[in-house]
Amino acid sequence: MEYGQTRQLRQVHTYDTVIVGAGGAGMRAAIEAAPRCRTAVLSKLYPTRSHTGAAQGGMAAALANVEEDNWEWHTFDTIKGGDYLVDQDAAEILAKEAIDSVLDLEKMGLPFNRTPDGTIDQRRFGGHSRDHGEAPVRRSCYAADRTGHMILQTLYQNCLKLGVEFFDEYYVLDQLLTEVGGVRHSAGVVAYRLATGELHVFRAKSVIYASGGCGKFFKVTSNAHTLTGDGQAAVYRRGLPLEDMEFFQFHPTGIWRMGILLTEGARGEGGILRNTHGERFMEKYAPVMKDLASRDVVSRAIYTEIREGRGCGPEGDHVYLDLTHLPHEQLDAKLPDITEFARTYLGIEPYTDPIPIQPTAHYAMGGIPTTVHGEVLADNTAVVPGLYAAGEVACVSVHGANRLGTNSLLDINVFGRRAGLAAAAYAATAALPELPEDPAGWVERRIEGLREATGSERVAVLRAELQETLDANVMVFRTEQTIGAALAKLAELRGRYAEVSVQDKGRRFNTDLLEAVELGNLLELAEVMAACALARRESRGGHYREDFPHRDDVHFMRHSMAYREVAADGTESVRIDYKPVVQTRYQPMERTY
Amino acid sequence: MATAAPDPGAAQPDAVPVSPSPGANLMAVTFRIRRFDPEAAAEAFWQDFRVEIDPKERVLDALHSIKGEQDGSLTFRRSCAHGICGSDAMRINGRNRLACKALVKDLSPQRPVVVEPLKGLTVLKDLVVDMEPFFQAYRDMLPFLVTSGNEPTRERLQSPAQRARFDDTTKCILCAACTSSCPVFWNDGQYFGPAAIVGAHRFIFDSRDEAGERRLEILNDNHGVWRCRTIFNCTDACPRGIQVTKAIQEVKQALVTRRL
Amino acid sequence: MPTDVTSGAGRAPAEPGPGRGRGPGPGHPAPLVEPPRQRTTRTPRSTRGNFEMYGWLFMRVSGVVLVLLVLGHLLIQLMLDGGVSRIGFAFVAGRWASPWWQVWDLLMLWLAMLHGSNGLRTVINDYAEHTATRLWLKALLYTATAFTVLLGTLVIFTFDPDIT
Repeated sequence: MEYGQTRQLRQVHTYDTVIVGAGGAGMRAAIEAAPRCRTAVLSKLYPTRSHTGAAQGGMAAALANVEEDNWEWHTFDTIKGGDYLVDQDAAEILAKEAIDSVLDLEKMGLPFNRTPDGTIDQRRFGGHSRDHGEAPVRRSCYAADRTGHMILQTLYQNCLKLGVEFFDEYYVLDQLLTEVGGVRHSAGVVAYRLATGELHVFRAKSVIYASGGCGKFFKVTSNAHTLTGDGQAAVYRRGLPLEDMEFFQFHPTGIWRMGILLTEGARGEGGILRNTHGERFMEKYAPVMKDLASRDVVSRAIYTEIREGRGCGPEGDHVYLDLTHLPHEQLDAKLPDITEFARTYLGIEPYTDPIPIQPTAHYAMGGIPTTVHGEVLADNTAVVPGLYAAGEVACVSVHGANRLGTNSLLDINVFGRRAGLAAAAYAATAALPELPEDPAGWVERRIEGLREATGSERVAVLRAELQETLDANVMVFRTEQTIGAALAKLAELRGRYAEVSVQDKGRRFNTDLLEAVELGNLLELAEVMAACALARRESRGGHYREDFPHRDDVHFMRHSMAYREVAADGTESVRIDYKPVVQTRYQPMERTY
Repeated sequence: MATAAPDPGAAQPDAVPVSPSPGANLMAVTFRIRRFDPEAAAEAFWQDFRVEIDPKERVLDALHSIKGEQDGSLTFRRSCAHGICGSDAMRINGRNRLACKALVKDLSPQRPVVVEPLKGLTVLKDLVVDMEPFFQAYRDMLPFLVTSGNEPTRERLQSPAQRARFDDTTKCILCAACTSSCPVFWNDGQYFGPAAIVGAHRFIFDSRDEAGERRLEILNDNHGVWRCRTIFNCTDACPRGIQVTKAIQEVKQALVTRRL
Repeated sequence: MPTDVTSGAGRAPAEPGPGRGRGPGPGHPAPLVEPPRQRTTRTPRSTRGNFEMYGWLFMRVSGVVLVLLVLGHLLIQLMLDGGVSRIGFAFVAGRWASPWWQVWDLLMLWLAMLHGSNGLRTVINDYAEHTATRLWLKALLYTATAFTVLLGTLVIFTFDPDIT
């Protein structure tokens, strides 16, 4: 099929449901959608390469297999963990459906660790408590320290069982919207096939974004090189909002300087954080939960220790995760992967030596706003018919201002499933939408523009500067001044990005070109994050403003909604609006651990 | 061989520092990389790049530095960068490894570090190979839990000992390092290969699964486990430390004991 | 080695692999990368049955039995009771008068030949790259094996000590 101004061969595919991303959320959605309607899964990676596989610690569910627990406590912990910015109806669904989600995965074949009785074993995790904060509870269902890997493998295996159609190494670069009766509907997506450089238009009744996070705009991050916010950027550029982008989680225990994740399960198994004096400093900051306080609290505590001169090493820029008091058998059985990371990357033997760690950029709480059925919102209330999102790319919002550990694997399963069901149900009744005029035109101009550009700027240089800026200015501690500096730098970088050129001019496997596209997405999203962070003049969860160190429920108990505005002269800006938080049974309280 | 694909960086490679961490001892290391671009030339060739790098860094860091600062057309797959996604398996100094788990200091960096695509799979560009045949072999193994009867309301029970029985083979990340290190696979692309057998092992020995017999039937094939010559290349290559050859032997043993 | 290689699912492009030359050239410290044979949902053609398993088992069992037979054979022929010096036509004639030694030697012949042939069959399967080459090599192997085994068996059973 040919459209006007086409220089490349384009292919148009028609499906009922197209899923963008083949990580946990995408494949969980595919397992629901594929048996119900014609479904295609587009992924920029082979499905088993997705970053769900890097999740380690576990998946929370109040199974009560090892001690008393119930989903209401889990709901409370999630809301408190999210510093009350959580939509409470969504959190309740998350905690309630957690139990069936875990059992579904077990039935699909996931090899959870087992109790002596043969049921799924559970362990402690940060922020999860019994009876509303009384003491840590064993709620995380796990498979050694590779729970995410096992979830990804199990979901992929079940997709194979169902014969799900995968399009591997297809990069989705644009979201197509078409107006029907004054309402914008999703019409499909435009994808770039890495192997050949062809553009493929996927026309579909429903589209589910499950494309993951955008953590690669930080330098020290646990995120994969491929987590560049492609899904968020695609819908944002089409005028749809992004919610709560200022909330980014910094995981307390990343390997020093490298950012490689060391699971919170290490502390769940009894690991202790120590400063240069060997003190268990978390006792000062969280007397009850200690090392298992929620992640934002622990990350701030670590940086406070470092700033006050109690950091370890010659430059005092890290602290230690101490596992030396744990029995070797326990480390081998429960934490084999992270002990191996320490040996491989640091040359440290965790049996005898503490591991140097520092907080690492880990998870975007914000993203594409959705309802509890995964429907994408066009504003505070109206949905975009046919458009869905689930997983890290989405913001339901169950994580609020700070996500609890083990709730992300839960999120992808619960809301991946819901989005898959909702998209299939929509596709069953909806008519196939018309494609807009020249659907791939914008992508083609962008791709060809980059390919033919002759500017002097290089992608790697700009990306490094972006990462340095965000690490320095918009990380754990933020002030108006640092955020302002980041915004100024981002404006400069976006200007220079217009001058970027790629060396690889070929069509096959042109990763040089795609890295340039990804950098564009990261720059756009970084600006949204910084703009939202500047506007939120309070401290809440993962967003800590030193100039406004307290939570301000009067002015900021609401979600940020960022829209892309383009002025008449073509200048872009971020317009920030707000959306109320859904509160059901929990009133905001002071948050202590 | 280095006739085609003109490259400005090839003649006088300049050493370019990889974002040095403070206090690091940088060292100039030559990376000899197998290049192939079907759009530029029909033949593959070797190209040397000199990189100033902290020897404690990964080969992947060096590849990124080359791509970012010397030659943007250098093509390789990568994602997680810490050995869990399986994207960047390649042949480094003649051995299959993950570029993100191979530290430069462990590769005798005084001499050129040789980086090639995986052997036995069609090279599509530079270090990128066609993974389809590899995944096809995995898919042929029925790599999913098969059960019969009604689903239980709660989880299926499994003792810790039953769970431990197949623990080793659940670690597989499908990076293809094992299969593409196997001489039998190099010569006969139809051999299922170690990774597919590991995938089958994970289910054959899972107490909840009921299709072990069907998988054994598939592996009893002319291109199945009996092609394994017990060379242990696969075990040596596995970046996850899976006892691959042992798993293959266990499948052989299961076949013999169940058939006789 | 085939030159046209298409990918498994038929989705990736058909690409001839690079460097079809073999072995490390000057300045090339590592061997070149070869393309594999294609693999699709329909290949390899299933060859179900237990033949390969029996073949594999046979190699192990015959190996063990052969160790006993061959060591015993060597002991008697070379060491015991004067050893190698007494071997002659009469010695062989005397031995093959007994059915025990007939069976011993027959077993040794059959097991050694089948063990060796199966080993060579494996080597041919592993290393012959073209179907035709494989076919010819195997035909040659099977013919040689059958000839040797039949001839040997014939000799053991029809041996005439009174031949002049």
